Amino acid sequence: MTTETITTASSGRAHGVVRTRGFGAITGRTVVWIVLAVFGILSVVPMIWLILAPSKTAKQLNDDAPFSFGSFAQYGVAWNNLLSQNNGVILNWMGNSVVYTASIVVISCLTAVLAGYALAATALPFKRALLIITLVAMIIPPVALVVPLFVEISAIGLYDNPISVILTSSFYPFGVFLAYIYFSTSIPTELYEAAKVDGAGEFTTFFRIALPLSRGLFGMLAFFSFSAAWVNYFLPYVLLQSQENFNLSLGLGFLFTSSPALNPQNGAQQSLIGRPEIALASLFLAIPILIVFIASSRLLVRGVLAGAVKS
Amino acid sequence: MFAPYLILLALFGVWPIVQAGLVSLEPTVINPAGGAQNFADVVADVRFVPAALNVVVFLVMYVPAMLIVVSLMSLLLDTVQGRWNLPLRLAYIVPASMTGATAVLIWYFMLEPSLSPYQDALHALGITQGNQIWRQGGLAWIFVAMAFFVGAGNWIVVQYGSLQSISDDILEAARIDGANSWQIAWRIKLPLIRKYLVYMGILVFAAGLQVFVEPQLISGSVYTGIAKDWSLNQLSYDLAFQSNNLADSAALSLMLLVVCIVAAIVVIFRSDFFEGTGVGSKK
Repeated sequence: MTTETITTASSGRAHGVVRTRGFGAITGRTVVWIVLAVFGILSVVPMIWLILAPSKTAKQLNDDAPFSFGSFAQYGVAWNNLLSQNNGVILNWMGNSVVYTASIVVISCLTAVLAGYALAATALPFKRALLIITLVAMIIPPVALVVPLFVEISAIGLYDNPISVILTSSFYPFGVFLAYIYFSTSIPTELYEAAKVDGAGEFTTFFRIALPLSRGLFGMLAFFSFSAAWVNYFLPYVLLQSQENFNLSLGLGFLFTSSPALNPQNGAQQSLIGRPEIALASLFLAIPILIVFIASSRLLVRGVLAGAVKS
Repeated sequence: MFAPYLILLALFGVWPIVQAGLVSLEPTVINPAGGAQNFADVVADVRFVPAALNVVVFLVMYVPAMLIVVSLMSLLLDTVQGRWNLPLRLAYIVPASMTGATAVLIWYFMLEPSLSPYQDALHALGITQGNQIWRQGGLAWIFVAMAFFVGAGNWIVVQYGSLQSISDDILEAARIDGANSWQIAWRIKLPLIRKYLVYMGILVFAAGLQVFVEPQLISGSVYTGIAKDWSLNQLSYDLAFQSNNLADSAALSLMLLVVCIVAAIVVIFRSDFFEGTGVGSKK
């Protein structure tokens, strides 16, 4: 990309003009790289800080340089302090996060794939209306429904029951949309028709033809479902009350507001939960999602939106 | 086959809205007659206008910032193919893993002049005390920064993906016609991914309208009460859980929801995003 000569013989604007892009192109390139690199550094700095923070004592965290490393042993100390909170309630939170997230991913992806297939390849009454409702639901942020859901969940007696979080979070219109687009564009409809002509019912066609062809779709659905479910905060915040039912993100919020770590006026002064402990709990929340993001970056390359709506 | 999803849709998509509609008309302490007066009561609440203004200020900064930075960064990223492309994309999605309480912790440290890795920059700006930043009136931009930091990277990667769908033939043709990189980005690539940017803008707007977690956690932990009822959603939450006024809370939720539904309908019927999916505007 140093010196590029462009001879525009065919263009009427510049007859045989030889234009060189030397100095300008190089500075342009440099600026692009600097912007990209600075943005990259700004993106990872907090994560590096967060990984280092639990290696230090609260005092070191205050006095030492932000990117200094304390000791590996300190991670163990912070972990034991976290365990001391309410007889290791943090283990409950982690377990709950895993169970809730796994259930949500399974239920939401299965229902979404089935519904997307039904919309794309079967004779469904009110198809257009159902599709429009799904699109509207997909654009409304889940947070908007939190208070209405709370009203409903308390009315049916599921308040403070983990089932309420799992079921409400399994409603996955974006997944239905992705599956619908996938089954109506990526797989030729002739395939379904051929199967039906051969005497296969809807379910046989789905399980024998559509499902084996939708591994990539499942990956994408699971990715989005997981990323939303793992960090789910507001909905469980409203629907759950008992500490032992919290997920990790809710538990972390609880540590924030109940310990003196960030505000000395909060909670019990003799609490062992300080800043390193909070940072360690944050890491437990951040690392799994980071791993899933990095592992799925291949999925995102092809263009989630572009691939989804191309007809 | 549609049934399992239909049950979830009916139970957790449609029914809560219907029920919230019914609850919003119930009698309250201030309005024993109930009915539509509840909606007027919410708007007349002393906390409503300040919270609405906060949300407007938040949106005015947040939505354009997201659109501009995400477009710019994804276009820049698109010009850099090769071995550094993937590491850059991975770096950009790192912040998306630090949401909610984690984001609050991070930002508390990043903005605390005595603890921050950016303390030199903060000092250069004349900021030596945390309370110079964390003060009422100046909170909107902090929440924008927090929300931006969590959301931007993921969207950059998604829109970078949109750019990959542009056919090489078009770009090649533009190059042969003598367009330089800026012209290609501005005149060819940007218009071609416009509909994805519009879609993103609507989603970002809808999410921003509902801002809750950041002010709620800051207010409940680091600086007690600093952002109490800062956003409309926090007000809705407090009406329900502090004032036991479920009717007014449901009314406020419904008002926010209506704005989101209108935005959704606009993007479905007025933009070309859902073209070819059997619902959107047909051309």
